[in-house]
Amino acid sequence: MVAIEAAGLSKRYRDRLAVDDLSFTAEPGEVLGLLGPNGAGKTTTIRLLTTLLRPSAGTFSVAGVPASEPGRLRQRIGVLPESAGYPGQQTGREYLLYHARLFGLPRTEARRIAEDLLDQVGLAERAGSRIATYSRGMRQRLGIARALVNDPAVVFLDEPTLGLDPAGQRQMLALVGEIALRRRATVVLSTHALAEVESACSTVLILDRGRALAAGTIADVTRSVGAHRLSEAFLALTEAGRP
Amino acid sequence: MNRWVVVARQEIRDLWLGGRGPTLVFAFSVLLSAMTYLSATNRGLNFLEQREAVNLTLQVAIAVGVLATMVVAADAISGERERHTLEALLLTPVPRRDIALGKLVSTLTLWAACVVVSMPYLWVLGRSTAVLGQAVVLIALVGTLVAVGLTGVALLVSALSDSNKTSLAVSLFVLLALFAPTQLPGMPKSWVGDLLVRVNPLASGMHYLSALMLNRHTWRQDLSYLLSPALTVLLTTTVFVIAAPRLIRLTRATS
Repeated sequence: MVAIEAAGLSKRYRDRLAVDDLSFTAEPGEVLGLLGPNGAGKTTTIRLLTTLLRPSAGTFSVAGVPASEPGRLRQRIGVLPESAGYPGQQTGREYLLYHARLFGLPRTEARRIAEDLLDQVGLAERAGSRIATYSRGMRQRLGIARALVNDPAVVFLDEPTLGLDPAGQRQMLALVGEIALRRRATVVLSTHALAEVESACSTVLILDRGRALAAGTIADVTRSVGAHRLSEAFLALTEAGRP
Repeated sequence: MNRWVVVARQEIRDLWLGGRGPTLVFAFSVLLSAMTYLSATNRGLNFLEQREAVNLTLQVAIAVGVLATMVVAADAISGERERHTLEALLLTPVPRRDIALGKLVSTLTLWAACVVVSMPYLWVLGRSTAVLGQAVVLIALVGTLVAVGLTGVALLVSALSDSNKTSLAVSLFVLLALFAPTQLPGMPKSWVGDLLVRVNPLASGMHYLSALMLNRHTWRQDLSYLLSPALTVLLTTTVFVIAAPRLIRLTRATS
């Protein structure tokens, strides 16, 4: 069973096509890098696949659940949205406990999972502190922990390293690797940073102006345009159609 | 456990432990204290018959209690959009209807607190008359009916607004527009005036209170005036039951 299957997915906002006839698949345990310049349609693609937006055309399934069952689909996925907000007055522990309860876990089980996840993302010592006192990196790690409370089969991370210092970025990418390795979850990592994709992802999907320009392993994509590095391939693909 | 209960519990914690609830209730009690003090001691106001003093305090308690509740409801969805916390909630499998219900229930705890806080003031003004029991029942039933309906309206406005400022401004304008006719003397004397009162859930609720408290009508005599607040509750509930998935979304726009 494929983890993600999208066929002819499109999203139109009045006269603007944000995602245009997108088709791709991702296998279980795969770390898929979603690459593209600003406005390429990365966030819209993630919002479509996580049922926050309704597609204008096309179909998809995630973790074997079709788009027609959004409640069941959301039960199987974890998402770290781009520029996610956090309730500053809650503690990290309360926040995770609340989200675990929203996924239907009993109180004791939710508490155990919250403690485990706080430990895994290195926030155990600050679990009882208000989120308002967390740094950006700590909030991002809390966001990842929240995305894992339901033990998802597919995890979507939208720009998880945005605004983090180099140490924070390294820590975040290590977490991404652990999610795929230990949990055998499929990870969709949306980012601008090509170095992140090269270090963390097994496959890549390059988008520009809503269209898929290339998909496959990093070696395949690089080779397909006669480049030596992913960055060269990315520039060759995304700047080809520009004036 | 029903998931709306999980949402409601967390929202109640945020409202009361976050400080917004206690602040609003404190402001409410300060206002009611001033009202009661003036009713009991001011030379102009203390010529009011005891029934009139209780009725006045009751009407102010309902109007201000509903105002406080609407302020919280107006923030419930648009505020989360603005703070970027709604997305995480929408990514859970909790049905949108349950999110709306949880938020409505938590907001109404503020109304419940306002009712409780009103009790000592009503007691001070009406303790030696039979009107006290009537006032308590009226605020608990008629006041709650009006509060649920208008809180639903504010929640609806919040769901339809991208900006928290817009949501708050529209909700307060709605309340003001509904409250203004209650201050006009002799509104229901002509058929047009009576119609305007009857279609206004706040004015008709207030009219029903006055009819019982001041004109000593029976409970049944003016019951038809409660149709408008009851219909407001029914209408907002129906809108949320039917359209919650389309209303509670990441953006107000057609995305």
